[in-house]
Amino acid sequence: MKLMRKKMNREMKWGAAILSIYLFWLIYWLFQKYILQGSLSRPYTPDIDMTKELVAPSFESFWFGTDLFGRSLFEVLSAGLSYSLSLAVLVSASCLMIGIVVGYLTVVGPRFFKVFFDLITNIVFIFPSILIAILVMSVTGQSLKGLIFALIITGWPGYARIARGETQRVLGLSYVESAKAIGVGPFRLFRKCIIPDILPQIMIHFVLGLSGVVISEAALGFLGLGGSEFSWGALLADAKSVLLEAPYVTIFISLCMAGLIIGLNLMGDGLRDYLDPQG
Amino acid sequence: MKGLRKGLYALLTIYLSLTSLFFIIRLAPGDPVERILGPEARLQDIELLRQRLGLDLSVWEQYLSFCTGIMTGNLGNSLFKSEKISSLILTHLPPTIIIAFFSISLAFFLGSMLGIYSGARKSQIGDGAVRVLSLLALSFPIFSLAPLFVLIFSIWLQWLPVSEWGGFSHGVLPILSLTVPLAAILTRVSRNRFLEEIHAPWVTVLHAKGLREMAILVRVLKACLPTLLNVVAIQLSVVLAGTMITETIFDIPGMGMLLFEGIQNRDYPVVQGVIAYSTIIYMLIYFCVDSLNSWIDPRIQS
Repeated sequence: MKLMRKKMNREMKWGAAILSIYLFWLIYWLFQKYILQGSLSRPYTPDIDMTKELVAPSFESFWFGTDLFGRSLFEVLSAGLSYSLSLAVLVSASCLMIGIVVGYLTVVGPRFFKVFFDLITNIVFIFPSILIAILVMSVTGQSLKGLIFALIITGWPGYARIARGETQRVLGLSYVESAKAIGVGPFRLFRKCIIPDILPQIMIHFVLGLSGVVISEAALGFLGLGGSEFSWGALLADAKSVLLEAPYVTIFISLCMAGLIIGLNLMGDGLRDYLDPQG
Repeated sequence: MKGLRKGLYALLTIYLSLTSLFFIIRLAPGDPVERILGPEARLQDIELLRQRLGLDLSVWEQYLSFCTGIMTGNLGNSLFKSEKISSLILTHLPPTIIIAFFSISLAFFLGSMLGIYSGARKSQIGDGAVRVLSLLALSFPIFSLAPLFVLIFSIWLQWLPVSEWGGFSHGVLPILSLTVPLAAILTRVSRNRFLEEIHAPWVTVLHAKGLREMAILVRVLKACLPTLLNVVAIQLSVVLAGTMITETIFDIPGMGMLLFEGIQNRDYPVVQGVIAYSTIIYMLIYFCVDSLNSWIDPRIQS
């Protein structure tokens, strides 16, 4: 996959610009968290200070104001960003790996495997995924382990579906047939021929999937089922109760989340047009 | 004959998804009983609750009672309210259905109109505006959109009441906040479909025959309809989750409120029941749309 063969399109440029702001923010925050204010062994988290409850944003003290518990809203938002992004990458990467392997196996594997996984991917695909996540979280409680389990179990069938279709397409190409003819084994074929060729389509789904995970995680957090107190959804749920006194909390959180989602969606859409100009 | 096969397939899928639901709960890390009672619970309390929930039985016995419970509509009682879960669900169903119905219809109308408008004005100012709007609308998930709507329309402009359930004005904001994201998705899809269809050979033939623009548009619309309905069916799960979130924001006594209270009270049977029945309703609608599609366009075989 030669990515930089041609110029980026407009959507990709905007997406890259927005995402690089978030990336810069994330690096700044990690620097603060592990080096400036905390240490590697004892990372810094925004502390609760009830005397500074709901200070309105101003240029003198807190640029973004403080939240219900007197924490600087900027720090809370940063902690939410690092949590949300790392969770999204972790979950999407796991889904991607499971999806590619299952997709490949449904094409080349034995028949019972094919039927079984077709059935499962079809069911989980039309199943209301957020409901599964809610159900799992209501059993496991507010644990990170449960959240990751819930998001992965609802996320991988999307990847498997794409990987399956793409693998079928690639297996029909002549160079794959030639590779088979000279006796390339299934593992080597998978590594050398299948993965490089199906990766572009998977990458599109991956980038768009990241924003999906960010949204699902925040939705669960909003319902009180998140994995962290800094989940943007949980913060929004807290902000809801002070909507009248401190509307800026809701506005800032919403804008932060919207910016990240816009960036990821633009990047994904741009990538799709970039890799398939006709479509 | 074909209808019968389809119906059987739908039933099989519903059965299998409920089964996977059952096993996913058992697979998930953590123990519901410990979660309900907390870490300092006494051993005999744990045993008692385990018996009451039927969790002391073997997995297969639990599975059997789960299946019969779903079929007979008898999922036991709520842990906190001494009411049957089935009657709780029945009383909470109407508001959810009203909100979902109105927002889906509105979104369908708005989305297809905007999509066709922007497709017809491709690469012009109107098209750009619609595309930017739909991108923005997709970036505010419902739980940030709804509070913002409350802020703008109820607190700053004071046009609409904040939260209650009753008259028409109470339904406007919940329906609106559900409509916006769905309409945005439908706009994008219908724009793409319209652009695909408008250059198809059969449309050229209609033009050559000298058909009026309006008549051609109606036919193109009909060709796009199955895709749009399909998107609605797939998005239905998002709408379902969305109604649940809106209900907690606007204090509407619907299924979402029931689910939310169940989660808050750790009322495990209620959560399980609400989700099982929502799944059944969702799947039934999904398969209805599926057969509707193959009725509109007989080429579609599912």
